[in-house]
Amino acid sequence: MSAKTNERATFIDHLARRMSWPRIFFFLGLFIFWAMIIFPFFWMVSSSFKSQAEIAARVPALLPGELRLDAYQELFNPTWDHFQDFLTNVINSLIVAIPTALIAVILSMMGAYAIARLRFKGKDMMLNSILLIYLFPGILLIIPLFAMLSQISRWIGLEVQDNLGVLIFLYLAQTLPVALYILANYFRTIPDEIEQAALIDGCTRFGVIWRVTMPLSVPALVSVGIYTFMIAWNEFLYALVFLNDRSMFTMPIKINAIFNDPSPRIPVVMAASVVMSLPIMILFLAMERYLAEGLSAGGVKG
Amino acid sequence: MTTSTQTTGTSPQSSSLFRRIFSGSMHAREVRLAYLLIAPTAIIVFGLVLFPAFFSIWISFRNIGLGNLDSVFSAPFVGFDNYTAVFNDFAFKYNSLTNMGAFLTSIVFSFAGTIVTISLGLAAALLLNQPFRARGLSRAVFLFPYVAPVVSIAFVWRWMLDPKPSGIINYALLELNLIDRPIAFLAKAGWALLLVIVFEGWRYFAFAMLMILARLQAVDRSLYEAAEVDGANIGQKFWYITLPELRYVIGAIFLLRLIWTFNKFDDIFLLTGGGFGTKVLPILTYEFSFKLFDFGKGAASSMILLVFLVVFLIFYARFVMRNVEE
Repeated sequence: MSAKTNERATFIDHLARRMSWPRIFFFLGLFIFWAMIIFPFFWMVSSSFKSQAEIAARVPALLPGELRLDAYQELFNPTWDHFQDFLTNVINSLIVAIPTALIAVILSMMGAYAIARLRFKGKDMMLNSILLIYLFPGILLIIPLFAMLSQISRWIGLEVQDNLGVLIFLYLAQTLPVALYILANYFRTIPDEIEQAALIDGCTRFGVIWRVTMPLSVPALVSVGIYTFMIAWNEFLYALVFLNDRSMFTMPIKINAIFNDPSPRIPVVMAASVVMSLPIMILFLAMERYLAEGLSAGGVKG
Repeated sequence: MTTSTQTTGTSPQSSSLFRRIFSGSMHAREVRLAYLLIAPTAIIVFGLVLFPAFFSIWISFRNIGLGNLDSVFSAPFVGFDNYTAVFNDFAFKYNSLTNMGAFLTSIVFSFAGTIVTISLGLAAALLLNQPFRARGLSRAVFLFPYVAPVVSIAFVWRWMLDPKPSGIINYALLELNLIDRPIAFLAKAGWALLLVIVFEGWRYFAFAMLMILARLQAVDRSLYEAAEVDGANIGQKFWYITLPELRYVIGAIFLLRLIWTFNKFDDIFLLTGGGFGTKVLPILTYEFSFKLFDFGKGAASSMILLVFLVVFLIFYARFVMRNVEE
C-alpha cells in the first residue's frame, strides 16, 4: 500500500525522505546484504571464464580479460585436453532428479488427498510421524541404509552401488514427507463443496482427484515438483556413498572429484558449478512467488 | 457411489437415519481408499527412514566391517564396545581449546551457527519489512544462498578464501593492510571453525528471514501507533513490541535450525573436510563408517546424534507445535 504512494512521489520528495539517519542505515544494511550475497555468485561466474594465468595472478582480476570458454570446453568438448565428460554427469543428475520429482508429486498428491479429505484411523498419528521423520538427517540413516541395501543386493542380486534407481528411492524417502505436508495443507484450502458436487454427479474418487483437485492445485503441485527436483539435484551425501564410478557420478560428486584432482583447475570447477547452479536459480526466480511460502514450511531441508 | 457425499462428515444435519445405515460400508470403503492412497508414501518413508533409524541402533551393538557387510544380520554382538571406543576416541574427546574434539565442536558449531543464522535472518527480515522499490527482488536475491547447490557455493567460498594472494579475500585484506601475509582461513584451527559458522549464517539466514518476515507482517500496526503516541523511539518499539511478538517464531526457528545444523554434514565436509578443528559428529560418523569401515562404531557415534535429535524433537513437539498453532 505505502509502496504505491512511494512510487507516486516525485524524485525530490523521495530523496528528501531518504536523507534521514534511519534511512541511511537502512540502505547501508541493504547494500551489505546484497553485496555479501551477490559477490560469491559473481565470483563463480567470473572465475569460470578466466584463464589459468588470471586465476593465479598476484592481483586478482574482477572480470576476465576476455570471455574464455576453455573451462566449458574442458567440461563438454570431447576433443579438448583433460576432457571431463561432464554431460554424462548432467544427464545422470537429470536421470535421478526428474523421476524423483515426478514420482514424489504423484505419490504425495495421493497421500495428501487422503489426509486432507478422507477420514481414517491413525491419520493424525501418521501425519505427525511422517513430519517428525522429515527431521531425521541423512548422516544418521546412511550407515543402516548402506548395510541394509548391501544385504538386499546379496539376497536378490541387485547391484546397489552405482545404481541411480536406488538413489531415486532414497531421495523419495527424503522428499515425500514435506511434499505430503505442503500438498495436504493446500488441499485443505480448496472448498470441499466443489468435490462434493463432482461426487454427486457420479464422479469416482479417483475421478475427483484427476478432474477437480489436480487442476485446482497446479501451483502447489509445481512448487512441490520443483522442491523435490532441487533436493535430488543438489544432494551430496547419499550420492557420495553410493556412487563410485566416475561415469555414474551425479554433478555434485563430479564437481567434488574435479576439485580434489591432484591439480585442480579453478575455472573448471567454477564452470561446472555454474552449469549446476544456473538451472536451479532460473527455476527458482521464475517460480519465486509460489516457492517462497513452501520454503518456510521447510521445502528445502537443511 | 453417488451418495458417498455422506461419508466425509461435513453435512451433519442431513438424513441421520439414512446415513447411519449406509455410512458403515461407505466409510469402510473410504478408509480402504485412504490407506491405498497413502500406502506408497508410507512404505517408502517407513522403509527407508524409520526402519533404518531403528536398524542403526541394532548396528551400534554389533561388530560390522566391510568383511561381513553381506551378512549383517549374523554380525557378532559386542555390547557397548562400540560406544566405549567412540567415547575414548581421540577425535571425540575434549583435548585442548584448539582441539576440542567432535562432541564439543558440534555443540559450539550448532549453537553459534544457529545464533548467527537467526541474527542475520532477523536483520534481513526487518529490512525487507520496510516498503521500498526493490523489495520483491531483494527477497528473491536474499534466498539465493539458501536454494543454490551447496557444492558450488562451498567451492566458491574455498576459492575466495584461497590462501594465495590470488584469493580475493586475502588480497583485499592485504591491500587494506589488515593482515601482512595471507591467511589459510580454512586450514587453521579457530579460523576454520569461525568461517564454517559464518558460512552457515550466510547460507541459511534466508530460512529464518522468511519465517520472521511472515510473522512481522502479521503484527498489529495499532501497537506501533499507540507506542508512537506515547513517544517511543525506534529502539523502544523494536524492544518492547517487535521482539516480544517474534518470540515464538524465533524459538521455533532456533530449534529447527539447531536440529539441522547439529546434523549438518555436507557444508563442513566440502569446506574443510572436517580438518583443522571443524570435525563435528556427522563428519566423525562418516569417517568411522566410510574411511575406517567400522560401521558399528559409526552407528554408535550416530546414536549421539539420534539422542540429541529425540531431545530436540520432544522440545519441538512440546514447545513449537503448540505455540505456532495458536
